Amino acid sequence: MTTVEAPAIQPGKGLGGVPGPRSIRRFTAAVARTKAGASLGSVLNDAYYAAIMIAIGLGVALGVAGQLRASLPPQDDASLGDGISLPSLVAICAIAVIGAVLSLAGRLGPVGAEGAEATWWLGLPVDRRGLLRPASLRIPVLAGLVGGVLLALLDGGLLADHGIGHVLRLGALAALCCAAVVLLAGLAQSIQFPRRSVALIGDLVIALAPVLALVAAFTDWRLSALPDLPVWLLTVLALAVVGLGWAQDRRLGRIRGRNLRESGSVASQAAGAVVSLDSRELGRALSDASARQRRRRSLRLRLVRGPKTAIMVADLMVLLRSPRHLVQLVVSALVPVLVVVTPRLAGALGVGLAVLVSGYVGMLATAEGARRAEMAPILDRLLPMSAQATRRTRLLVPAIAMLLWSLVAFAAVGLWHGDPGSWIALGVVSTPVWAGAALRSAFRPAPNWQGPLVSTPAGALPGGVLAVLARGPDVAVLGLIPVIISVALGKVLLPVIAVQLVFSLIAWTVGASTNTKPLMERLMDQQDALEKSR
Amino acid sequence: MSKPSVIRAVDLLVGYGGEPVCAPVSFVLPPGRVLALVGANGSGKSTVLRAVLGLIEPAGGSLQVLGRDVDEREVGFRTRVSSVLDDDAYFPALTVAEHLYLTARGHGVAGADDVVHELLAEFGLADHAESLPVALSSGQRRRLLLAAGLVRPRSLLVLDEPEQRLDVAMRDRLADRLVAEKQAGGAVLLATHDPDLLRACADRAVLIADDACRLLSPDDAAEALRPGVL
Repeated sequence: MTTVEAPAIQPGKGLGGVPGPRSIRRFTAAVARTKAGASLGSVLNDAYYAAIMIAIGLGVALGVAGQLRASLPPQDDASLGDGISLPSLVAICAIAVIGAVLSLAGRLGPVGAEGAEATWWLGLPVDRRGLLRPASLRIPVLAGLVGGVLLALLDGGLLADHGIGHVLRLGALAALCCAAVVLLAGLAQSIQFPRRSVALIGDLVIALAPVLALVAAFTDWRLSALPDLPVWLLTVLALAVVGLGWAQDRRLGRIRGRNLRESGSVASQAAGAVVSLDSRELGRALSDASARQRRRRSLRLRLVRGPKTAIMVADLMVLLRSPRHLVQLVVSALVPVLVVVTPRLAGALGVGLAVLVSGYVGMLATAEGARRAEMAPILDRLLPMSAQATRRTRLLVPAIAMLLWSLVAFAAVGLWHGDPGSWIALGVVSTPVWAGAALRSAFRPAPNWQGPLVSTPAGALPGGVLAVLARGPDVAVLGLIPVIISVALGKVLLPVIAVQLVFSLIAWTVGASTNTKPLMERLMDQQDALEKSR
Repeated sequence: MSKPSVIRAVDLLVGYGGEPVCAPVSFVLPPGRVLALVGANGSGKSTVLRAVLGLIEPAGGSLQVLGRDVDEREVGFRTRVSSVLDDDAYFPALTVAEHLYLTARGHGVAGADDVVHELLAEFGLADHAESLPVALSSGQRRRLLLAAGLVRPRSLLVLDEPEQRLDVAMRDRLADRLVAEKQAGGAVLLATHDPDLLRACADRAVLIADDACRLLSPDDAAEALRPGVL
């Protein structure tokens, strides 16, 4: 092979030295700071508010966890019997957190160059490592902070009072593990290991966590306390993480430009969704990041017999072709099972929270088809069906999926109470509530940032945004009041099932409604229309 | 002795997820020449350009740029290959001039001030030098991208439909620029739908299609771009 030296066109007076990557970064950042008018005072002010907000958040979380710990029965209570110990469950939760971190790291890159950086930086003949270094460290540090704080909260709040040293050491261990997982994902990215595969491994780790918990329950494997690693071992682990960081840094220049662009695009879409509190956009960003580019073959879709079945099959395909949502649905169904086999959590409060929270998480997974239809109603516009009929049809897939969820979750609660039949009946009857909430959440309008601010202890919050974000959870909580009452009573009464049926019909109707305006606004519109007609 | 090639593509297959988007394409682009890719919308012109720039992996065949397999991670590649694709991303806080200074100084251009001023004037952006990208029209942003492609050193200039969003006068100026580029020894690979631009500057053209890709003269390619032909 001969190397061709094509004559280079050199604008200006020829070529001088190329600046270092750090000066390119600094120039861009300095200009941005100047234009934004960010003085040292305003930066300190923002840092102060951020620190205060974090401290308040941590304080509230610690308080809630402490209250929970106080309300739990003591660990050495002999009447608790067999099952998973709370430390075992926390350890398994830590595995799930690590899976979630890996899954997110795979979807986000973890190293990427966002739009402007990809266009204006990646073409420069400077060492890319220097350009990418801050971006490559951002996610490991963030993952470490979140993982560390989360496990420290669980240890300090939920488990026995071991003292601050134990909490800090456990938090450090979790932080190091989370950071290491992201750095490993970064190394995988540098050897062209597909991001989709990294995300899939993360999803599988999440799915493995409840299975491990069930195995622990049936084999009577119990942890009496979370491990307390000595400081020297933590130091060794920290050095290993630093080594991983160094190895990733050495290989940053080997990540291909297209990979950096894709990752940067996903990260910027996800960050935009988080800033604007748009969970639907966040879900789309994370799902599309790990979607296949093509499939081996296209299905003939023989089940489609008309517009209604077309929508149903489309929604079903969206769900079945998304491993993340399937894992979410399965894991959420197993959470109530785990709570009832964890003696210290198996009480009215623990079971109630488990049913509500895990049900809501599972429900979100079932409405992906509806969420996509809300963004781009391509199929809806093509099919000869009214908006109302389309919306009603879209309720079916979430309803079927949540029926399966209810069978598992309510069977577990029923077995715990010794009356599975009644509880399963209650679960089946309550299924339409989940479907209604799923549709209401999927078709909620964009957050309204122009509404009046509401004063809260955490500062002023835009009321319009909160009202929009509450669409979906409101139907779930209100529609499941009979279930909550049954959990509190510890038994299912026949009249409660009848009342639940009525609540479910109302929730189904609300979910099928195509009207997105709040009730008060609709009443005012009707009033205006009436006055005009006079 | 014949001139060494800047791009040599032999039975190059391009596509996404291993699925080709057009027939295999072969062409050679020597220095001091302009080669145009023509074809219907979605025929695969931009995908071929992306393969040349290393932004996608070829699905088959061979492709060499500047005598080597394509690897945009190499500093030498980035030094000598300039491209203007359909990117529309800018640093929101950097002015038009600052975007050009960043590119010029990032490539070590000596006398960057003069080069930037010259290009701002040439592309009708002098009055907008201090404007932020958000204040520009879509055509002005396109001109900024073209100026950025020319403010830096290069042996190969890759342009994806550079005529888009430009008025007639600016298209004529762009054609003059590309003629000057090849006269100075630079090679240009562009995808275009504009028969006038093609006639004004291209030496050869490649028709990209599903069934077979063919090498055409600029006149034949311009004829193929007439409405209803492709």
